[in-house]
Amino acid sequence: MIRLFASRTLFQSVLIINSLVVLLPVFFLVNSSLRESNEFARTPFALARDPFWENYQRVWSEGEFGSYFINSLIITGGSLILILILALGAGFVLGRYTFKGNNITFVFILTGMLVPAKLAILPLFIQLKWMNLLDSRLGLILVYTSAALPAAIFIMSGFFKSLPTDLDNAARIDGASEFKLLLKVLVPLVRPGMVIVAIYSAIPIWNDFFLPLVFLQSPEKKTLMQGLTVFFGQYASQWGVLFAGLCLAALPLVVLYLILSEQFIKGLTAGAVKG
Amino acid sequence: MSSALRREQNRTTGTLLIPALAVIIIFTTIPALTTLSYAFFSWDGFQRSTFAGFENFQKLFAYPYLDQLIAALRHNTIAFVVIMTCQTSFGLLFAYAMFRVKRGLRLYRVVVFLPVIFSLVVVGYLWQSLLDPYYGPINQIINGIGLPEFAKPWLGDTSTALPTLMFINLWRWVGFPAIVFLAGLNAINSEYIEAARIDGASEGQIFRKIIFPLLAPSLTIITVLTFIGAYEWFDLPFVIGGSNGSPAGATDTLALMFYRLSFGSIDSGANNVGVGSALGVLIFTLVGLGAAFGSALLRRREVEQ
Amino acid sequence: MKISKIRGLVAALFAAVTVVAPGASIASADTEITFWSWRTEDKAFYESQMKLFEAKNPGITVKFTPYLNTEYNAIVATALTAGKGPDVIQMRPYGGMANLSDAGNFMPLTTAEVPALKKLPAGILAGAQGYKDKKQYGLPYAVSALGVMYNPDILEKAGVGALPQTWAQLQTAFDKVKKAGFLPLGNAGGNGPALEQLHATVGPTFYGGTAFFNDVVAGKKTFTDKGYVASLKAVADLAKWMPANYQGIDYNTARGLFANEKAAFYIGGNYEIGYFRSLNPSITIGWFPAPKANAGAKRYVGTWADGAYAINAKTTQKAAALKLINFLGTKEFGQALVDEIAFIPTAPYVKINDPAVKEINRWRTTLGTPFLNVVGFRFENPTSSSILQPGFQKLIVGGTTPEQLAKDVQTAVASWYAPQKGKS
Repeated sequence: MIRLFASRTLFQSVLIINSLVVLLPVFFLVNSSLRESNEFARTPFALARDPFWENYQRVWSEGEFGSYFINSLIITGGSLILILILALGAGFVLGRYTFKGNNITFVFILTGMLVPAKLAILPLFIQLKWMNLLDSRLGLILVYTSAALPAAIFIMSGFFKSLPTDLDNAARIDGASEFKLLLKVLVPLVRPGMVIVAIYSAIPIWNDFFLPLVFLQSPEKKTLMQGLTVFFGQYASQWGVLFAGLCLAALPLVVLYLILSEQFIKGLTAGAVKG
Repeated sequence: MSSALRREQNRTTGTLLIPALAVIIIFTTIPALTTLSYAFFSWDGFQRSTFAGFENFQKLFAYPYLDQLIAALRHNTIAFVVIMTCQTSFGLLFAYAMFRVKRGLRLYRVVVFLPVIFSLVVVGYLWQSLLDPYYGPINQIINGIGLPEFAKPWLGDTSTALPTLMFINLWRWVGFPAIVFLAGLNAINSEYIEAARIDGASEGQIFRKIIFPLLAPSLTIITVLTFIGAYEWFDLPFVIGGSNGSPAGATDTLALMFYRLSFGSIDSGANNVGVGSALGVLIFTLVGLGAAFGSALLRRREVEQ
Repeated sequence: MKISKIRGLVAALFAAVTVVAPGASIASADTEITFWSWRTEDKAFYESQMKLFEAKNPGITVKFTPYLNTEYNAIVATALTAGKGPDVIQMRPYGGMANLSDAGNFMPLTTAEVPALKKLPAGILAGAQGYKDKKQYGLPYAVSALGVMYNPDILEKAGVGALPQTWAQLQTAFDKVKKAGFLPLGNAGGNGPALEQLHATVGPTFYGGTAFFNDVVAGKKTFTDKGYVASLKAVADLAKWMPANYQGIDYNTARGLFANEKAAFYIGGNYEIGYFRSLNPSITIGWFPAPKANAGAKRYVGTWADGAYAINAKTTQKAAALKLINFLGTKEFGQALVDEIAFIPTAPYVKINDPAVKEINRWRTTLGTPFLNVVGFRFENPTSSSILQPGFQKLIVGGTTPEQLAKDVQTAVASWYAPQKGKS
């Protein structure tokens, strides 16, 4: 019993230390973002007395974060909607229908997970150019969707498979078409799966800076993370403004995460966690 | 099944499956196969020119690319070994700790996983600032506690740059194996553990004989994902060290080299799409084979409850 | 319940944003041309100049966007290949964009369309010509010069009397500054290109200036020449005067040390002066040419046509772009270049009032020597710069020797440069 208690304090300490290692840098970031740049340069290690909100103002207006934010929203939102629609359909068919090509198609789709977009970046670049989809948010949406679909279909088909078959028969006896069966009966039941797919797909897309770097040339189309790299080049040495930029870039996801931590954790480790 | 239903199902299959398949084929499959073909041609900038057989592969293994390739490969391998051991061990430690404590569990889960949410751009710039030799708090603290010899330019010194990068990677990613292991731990039938405790087994014995073997599936997934991540390591090195693996190529990785060859940079001159694609083929083969092989090997260890 | 809320929220946001978002260009009578550069430091300057241009040319608006220096080439290359490049491009000198000009990305400029070209000497024009063909692709706008910038106030406090003329005198000056409690040198090792410029400043006096340049270009001498090795060693020798932890100090922090008057000297190009002044408007900056290696050597000022303005071959706004190029070639713009960011413009008849820039211009005309790597050896891969930049980073921490680095440079250049092939 004593040994059990002692080890529990040990584990508490381990977790407390980890929490400090995680949270102290974040605290430094937020604190420094509220200090004036030259003051920070003189004394890097001080608490922000009067919060210097001008840093944030400059980031938003001069740093054009407003436009970056909207672009990220368009691209992530657009990809998400396309992914959900396509994965719902494909997951339903592959999970609940039995037909000759089912297994092969499923395996083919899964192998798509092995190809990281980065390695195919050149053909993608040339292909998008030929399709006139370069410097286009739609082009980016299509590429992200394609990259996310294999995992999304995998997850959705799993959910569809787990639903009892009586539902199908009951709906069909009532005269429902296949589409109605899917939309009215089954989709409401696989909502948890959709949340998982949404989170699992959206986070890497929102956080990505590489594909926008290659595929988006016009400054007004830049996404938040891509804009951050440009921003850092332009405002080097203006520490307060830089830190404010980092905070603004990280804020949306952190807020969402804090509200929905359960779903986030489940969503992002989907496929890795069995059950 | 009635033939009317069968026909309707076939139509539905067509309507619902084909769009998804089309997107995947156009934007993933075809580009992937095309990368393979690019490696066999020589290029003039972004224009394909003549068929070149295996020339690009020969060039990749010759001056001036061979040295860079070997260095990058070495860095990726070091990264895999270190990340595999440290990240997985710490992940398991945190997971087990969360498994054992009751108080504050929900808070710890949120905090442990938090860095995984941050974009690598944010993480990279944040740590670059923290480690700044002049203004960064880390060196300020080290100087403050009276150990100025340790206040090094962590990201600027060729001997400490890669380890520092791996530490930052650890900070950012350890929450992921932690959560996966935690789920694995929670999935273990508690009766086994209770029975062992009643029989007088120590916590250490319980861990070694019961818990660890039953975590094998989680370990498999983590190992395979870490392997893939280590050999495709790009984002963090790019944000912190730029496409050349500053300082002096100490943080160069295979993926960075691939980017340089594909798009060029300020001092490595023009791009070379042919050699870049050859490198891409190499990376893809390495990762594919490694993942498949490792996955098969580890699957054998997994024990059914 | 929460789940459907998220979905609804996402859908609503998406719908709202796509309806409201100002994505497509607003129909207007204005022609808009885009103008890209790698000089993030000069953003404010260019934006004010663009306003002047727009006032003189109603109906044309210019969108100026600078990019991070190290990624500029990759970004421009990708954009041009994508067919989405800017209308007016700041072009790297000599071989820096050879692959792009060879691929036909830039519009050849004629003296009829750009009269300013007529007034520039051949050596300057060469900085913006194609590698394979010798067409004029850009209008060189400035000449850069390398030297030693110093803070007269700190030197006075440290008791440094006369400006150093020899390498040994420079070391003495460094020592006096250090004893007075200041940093001798602001330069640091975190940025490869900055180290390359450091070498290009102090090196020529060791390797023999223009004579050596001509010999190497002709294949009569190699990089393993004793003088060149000595020039590399000089950079290694400067490491002891650099700030503590110099390996990790990046370009901006290093420049900041000089600008914020913590360091007495900064060795590099005149283009830094504008940046120093933007960080610290009250600073006084002096300049002298790099000291001679010893009493018998000569002093040199590394100089080259640094950058040009080019037009995208695929531009849809040729007339507007030409107007901009011609504006950038005017005497007024040249005057602004020197007055506001301390550049040495190529435009003739510009009055240089800034004492530091006057000094620089005086010395570079008599002591000028080409910046070896930039002018001679950037045309193909691996460029001498690609070896030297990481090489210097290794050299200053003892990771390689001057002899080995010289050998590496020679191997690199010999692999593609015909007159050097087979020599070591």
